[in-house]
Amino acid sequence: MGSSTAHSRWRTGHRVGSLLLLIAALAGCGMIPPEPETETARSVFTLYNIVLAMGAAVFVGVEGFILYAIFRYRRRDDRLPDQLHGNNLVEIIWTAIPTIIVLILFAASAITLGEVEARVDEPGQTIEVTGFQWQWEFRYLDDDEDDENDHTVVGSPASPPAMVVPVGEPIRLELTSTDVVHSFYVPNFLIKRDMFPAGTEGGGNQLEFTIDEPGTYSGQCAEFCGDLHARMTFTVEALPRTEFDEWLESAKAGETPAPSRDAAGTVLEISADEIAFDTRELSAPADQPFQIHFTNLEGVVHNVSIYDANDAEILIGEPITGPDAEITYDVPALPPGEYTFICDYHPVADMTGTLTVQ
Amino acid sequence: MATTTLAPRAGTWRQSWVIDWLTTVDHKKIGILYIVNSFLFFFAAGVLALVIRSELMVPGLQFVDEATYNQAFTMHGTIMIFLFVVPVLSGFANYVVPLQLGAPDMAFPRINALSFWLLPLGGILIFSGYLFGGAAAEGWTMYAPLSNARYAEGPGTDLWLIGLTLVGTASILGAVNIIATVFKMRAPGMTLFRMPIFVWTVLATATLILLATPVLTAGLIALFIDRNYGGAFFEPSAGGNPILWQHIFWFFGHPEVYIVILPAMGVVSEILPVFSRKPLFGYRAFVFATIGIMLLSFSVWAHHMFTTGQVFLLFFAFMTALIGVPTGVKMFNWMATLWRGSLEFTTPMLFALGFITMFLIGGISGVMLASPPVDFHLQDTYFVVAHLHYVFFGGSVFGVFAATYFWFPKMTGRRLNERLGKVHFWIHFIGFNLAFFPMHPLGISGMPRRVADYSPDAGFTLWNIVSTVGAFMIAISVLPFLVNLVATLINGERVGDDPWEANTLEWATTSPPPPYNFDRLPPIRSERPVFDLRHKHDAEHMAAERRAPEEGTA
Repeated sequence: MGSSTAHSRWRTGHRVGSLLLLIAALAGCGMIPPEPETETARSVFTLYNIVLAMGAAVFVGVEGFILYAIFRYRRRDDRLPDQLHGNNLVEIIWTAIPTIIVLILFAASAITLGEVEARVDEPGQTIEVTGFQWQWEFRYLDDDEDDENDHTVVGSPASPPAMVVPVGEPIRLELTSTDVVHSFYVPNFLIKRDMFPAGTEGGGNQLEFTIDEPGTYSGQCAEFCGDLHARMTFTVEALPRTEFDEWLESAKAGETPAPSRDAAGTVLEISADEIAFDTRELSAPADQPFQIHFTNLEGVVHNVSIYDANDAEILIGEPITGPDAEITYDVPALPPGEYTFICDYHPVADMTGTLTVQ
Repeated sequence: MATTTLAPRAGTWRQSWVIDWLTTVDHKKIGILYIVNSFLFFFAAGVLALVIRSELMVPGLQFVDEATYNQAFTMHGTIMIFLFVVPVLSGFANYVVPLQLGAPDMAFPRINALSFWLLPLGGILIFSGYLFGGAAAEGWTMYAPLSNARYAEGPGTDLWLIGLTLVGTASILGAVNIIATVFKMRAPGMTLFRMPIFVWTVLATATLILLATPVLTAGLIALFIDRNYGGAFFEPSAGGNPILWQHIFWFFGHPEVYIVILPAMGVVSEILPVFSRKPLFGYRAFVFATIGIMLLSFSVWAHHMFTTGQVFLLFFAFMTALIGVPTGVKMFNWMATLWRGSLEFTTPMLFALGFITMFLIGGISGVMLASPPVDFHLQDTYFVVAHLHYVFFGGSVFGVFAATYFWFPKMTGRRLNERLGKVHFWIHFIGFNLAFFPMHPLGISGMPRRVADYSPDAGFTLWNIVSTVGAFMIAISVLPFLVNLVATLINGERVGDDPWEANTLEWATTSPPPPYNFDRLPPIRSERPVFDLRHKHDAEHMAAERRAPEEGTA
């Protein structure tokens, strides 16, 4: 009886032990970073593994000793153990041990830091990355002085943007923000860098990387920036140089000119300031096209989009950034009913309204 | 002669116990008020933690919207740090330090009462944002310009700033009081190097508070001016600098980490020797390590800002690596205290061992984060959340529970039930690791912190489920603790003045101690006067043996 209880206890212990081992193995695997996809990411990956290995050694040594002490020195009788007050020699030794460990880690970190922070003279492509609440704008800087013809990609929480870049050459990012602090982070590149509002003294950050292989890598904002922080996602799409050139050319060519402004009848007026529309109610005649004249009064990107009751897209308005930017959207004829108009970039209550078509 | 403050109150008129507790200036009652008040905030912060973990369990928004979620993690962090861990440890310091020094009370009993009563007031102000359109939602770090009026509308953030200013003022007053008590109120024979290690850590903590917290308070007021009176300290469009806020915040914020951990280290350093029946190994080394941490903690703040690109990376990386050394020395001293001891696994001992085993993990991940290139990957991910919880929760909160079980018999004369205590410990310990260990792999694979949602394709789901299960286990572990508190207060085991066979002066008086603490004091010849008293005959015997050969030669 007693032995069978002991046996089943042993088996339960065995099972619990196996489960714990399994969890430990899973957790151990989880301690390795994602596949490094850039040159600098590879050196960070190596450094990380060295640091992790030293940490694991300390962990096993110390926890192992504590477990040993717990079993070996548990109280067996009422005898008073030797009253050992200390020993200066061992204090010196175990001050030296962690000193040596952290100095090694510091030296290894300093070497890798030099590689990560290195900058080339002529990057293959420079992209101005602007964070705003709550998405990204990527502006591809070209050689001419004219800023207007630079290709620009603007994302919205509903459709995050892709940053298309060539592989095998250094990409330089100029990081800035229009509002609060954001942070550019791609886990596979093992790096992030904060983006400060334009005008912040000393806040103009750069990031440089060279991607090894064509592929798509996901990224997102890492510095908490308000309500829709979690939806500030994007992807980096790495293409061979020739495909990249083709993409950039066709993307530039495909940029739509400003929509025609023929007087077609009804024009609805709406403006945006301080992350809010001036009106939350609009109405338009049914079954005939009309226009929305949108004025953006602030230096933050906004647009006006219209969705029907089933959230299907009616109009995705081209985004504009003020102060005092204007645009006219052409809206197709709509059947009577209630529609939602919204700024895709700031889908908050103050930038959401009802469009009544009757 | 102004000696009247220490004389017991004359007269016999009685007052209700409510008035007595509301107007008390007795350090023991104030200490208990601190502790009870802190635990109430702890439970509130725990509910917010469950909101966070429930929302994150699976992808998509199920329970709350983004705004509510952001308020939840902001208030969780603020309350846990400013209204639970710091004040609960102040409460134990208030109760224990005068007793351990053989003093009748704190140096300034009325300031002591004031610094307590500012806490519930500040806490209620911080919380009251929920009544006025939403609490602060910018994270406990309150980074500018997200915290400026333009992006954080509504009174929630203003209430947070005012409330925290009061809480900060309270802790500055408390620190002055502790420092004065330690330097002016020690009993005859209680030299600095005979002070219990807990007093040393509380002294170091008070010094940190005195030097760091005014910086935060000034920053809070500057931000309040920015928000309400057109100031531009942190507003770049008007020539201010948001990075300045980060410097101010972390110049306070990093010492704050040690404000939170040092007294818990002190608690553990009291408990391990008692239940190992050995002195703390390397008492002086431990004191110097504490002072070393205290000094170094002012030169490491910018390691929270590596990814800003605006700090001298190598200097702060070097200093941060260096602060690992005194911490390592402490770990070795604790290990050596266990070595060849006679270990008894009472509930306080279990929580103390939980502290050293879990804090080690937080220490290792801290050293990993001290490497700037590694930090570039891990900063602002769940790895940091895991790290800070292994330090604050695996460290400080385990220390708080160890202190609660250890000193409860002194405060009430009754010992908490050991069986329920052990149930509490094991559910708590396992739940803690399930909740927080998975955050390491989550952060390493790139999950940012402070997100209300994540993509189902990101591979974060499994670990988030495990973490949420662990969080609910921690919540469940509180139940045996509460049952234990109530049951023990009603009908607990009455124990004597010194149920643990402990070492320090608080165990030389009655449980609970009388007003003004001591009728008589034992002689203080070492950092363990009560141990010396208990083993007086052994000591005399040993001394006689040592003397004998000398006498023989004379």
